[in-house]
Amino acid sequence: MNRGWITRNAMLIAGLVLLVALISLAGCGSKSDVETDPAAGTGVGEETEELPVETVPEVVEPVVEEGPDYLNLNPSDYGVEDVFFAFDQYDLDDESMGILSHNARIIKEAGVTILVSGHGDERGTVEYNLALGEKRARAVRDYLVSLGVTVGQLKITSYGESKPFAMGSNEDAWAKNRRAHFERP
Amino acid sequence: MPVFFLTCVFWPNMALAQGRHTEVVIEHTGTAFIKTDVLIRDLDVLSGGVESADAANLMNRIVANDLRLSGLFLVGFSEENPDSLKYEFTIEGTVEGPLRDAAQTGENAPVTISLNLLSYPQRQLLMNKRYRPLPSQMRATAHHFANEVIHWLSGEPGICLTRVVFSRGSGGRRDLYVVDYDGEGLLRLTANRELNLCPDWSPDGKEIAFTSYRDGEQALFSLNTTNGKVRRVIAREGLNLGASWHPGGEELLLALSHGGNPEIYRITPQGKIIKRLTVSKAIEISPSWAPGGRDLVFTSDRTGTPQLYIIDSDGAGRRRLTFEGRYNDSAVWSPSGDQIVYATRSGNYTQIVVMKSTGEDRRVLTGRRWGNSEDPSWAPDGRHIVFASDRSGVFKLYVYDVVEDTFRQLTFGNDPDITPAWSH
Repeated sequence: MNRGWITRNAMLIAGLVLLVALISLAGCGSKSDVETDPAAGTGVGEETEELPVETVPEVVEPVVEEGPDYLNLNPSDYGVEDVFFAFDQYDLDDESMGILSHNARIIKEAGVTILVSGHGDERGTVEYNLALGEKRARAVRDYLVSLGVTVGQLKITSYGESKPFAMGSNEDAWAKNRRAHFERP
Repeated sequence: MPVFFLTCVFWPNMALAQGRHTEVVIEHTGTAFIKTDVLIRDLDVLSGGVESADAANLMNRIVANDLRLSGLFLVGFSEENPDSLKYEFTIEGTVEGPLRDAAQTGENAPVTISLNLLSYPQRQLLMNKRYRPLPSQMRATAHHFANEVIHWLSGEPGICLTRVVFSRGSGGRRDLYVVDYDGEGLLRLTANRELNLCPDWSPDGKEIAFTSYRDGEQALFSLNTTNGKVRRVIAREGLNLGASWHPGGEELLLALSHGGNPEIYRITPQGKIIKRLTVSKAIEISPSWAPGGRDLVFTSDRTGTPQLYIIDSDGAGRRRLTFEGRYNDSAVWSPSGDQIVYATRSGNYTQIVVMKSTGEDRRVLTGRRWGNSEDPSWAPDGRHIVFASDRSGVFKLYVYDVVEDTFRQLTFGNDPDITPAWSH
């Protein structure tokens, strides 16, 4: 059918446009340049679906439909999970390693730079908690790199006890706050 | 501290000056000590009306408070002596009103203050000081005179012009503040919506080194206390933490982790690494110079728990200092070098401990009723220690008197105050 031919052509053109878009996107070093693209892309994409077939060359498939907009999402939004640590420990346990294997696949696919921040619970001193957070972030980065993630993709920092996820002075809150967290840098 | 001294007249009676250290008996036997009793008379207001009267009251109040806070004196205000003090000295003086001339009028006109220290009851003049402070310099002027009195009577320099810098805030934002040693004159030093932590004064008080995320990643900065300008000292990947100025001021100790692991380094104030002092796979942090600047104390968890160690400035001669407790950190050497104060964790609580720098005579200062007590710092008199405690539900700063075993609260309000450092 004529309609099927046009659809195939439309997809071909859309693919080419997408390729060009991706290349230009990859060329964008700075975050501020990229931030305006997804919104514009989405707007054009939605509009063109309503247009008659004659205007097919202008069809642009929105980039966001091809996969998550990694640059503008928090890692947790596309499936990267935080890992948790035992009291005063910075070693990874079996559960953490499982989570990090899962994270490694996603991070490699995403290809964006991610910040791994280390955290501790409120007990103990400010400085030792900062050091524990640092060791936790490094342990996570080292393991992810061993799973094939590019080292340059992972930045690390430690906030110690200064940016808690759960408030309260109890085992539950403390356990939630001893973690390595993945965030946009 | 910009105080304008018109004249500083100092007439030491030589006979008294030579004997002054024996006149004042300050004994510490562990449980009993003797204080010197001082009578502070109302200053005579010679002219100037309400401005002079306010100045007289303020001077009186601040000098009295300074003498009390030193721990060396009991203060009375009346010859009738309701507390039966055994007065040995009198402080009295005069205030003259602002000089009314074309250049300096109204709010900004200085008053002239003359203060005397006399023996009691003989009224022999021991010391006279004259000042011409502006209203904004009144507190510093009173502190200056109190320091002179303390020095004259005890031989020790007073701490009345010292200050405490600390980190205040929560929710991922903490700013540096500074407060006078008596809790007055609170001033905010940073405002960058990030974490600013672990400040330390340079020996001359002109700079405050601190760890901050103000540029995004953790780095060490230095704040110029004269003009408020901040410069970046060093920014290696990971920790740039726990700066401790060398007593000579020409270098600092710092924990850096860019080599993969937190280690102790000596750096210049410009951020150049002089020497790496520790090598291990453990956490090594919280360095603090001994007063002589030859040895340093720091924390290492190489045995599995954080403990205190001493090494020399080349990293040699390592010896373990603490064997009690499974968590010891934040050690600071006393100004005279004979004691070390640090934080220890017992169960879920952190407590402040003082011991001899040999590791003997360990003494817990803050019991369970103090909740968590952390980050101790010595006053230059070696008698007072400031630390952060959450005994009220939120971390605030408290000052401990090592001799009398008493506490006072230094900061107030709802925001947590942590990592204090006393100026030198």
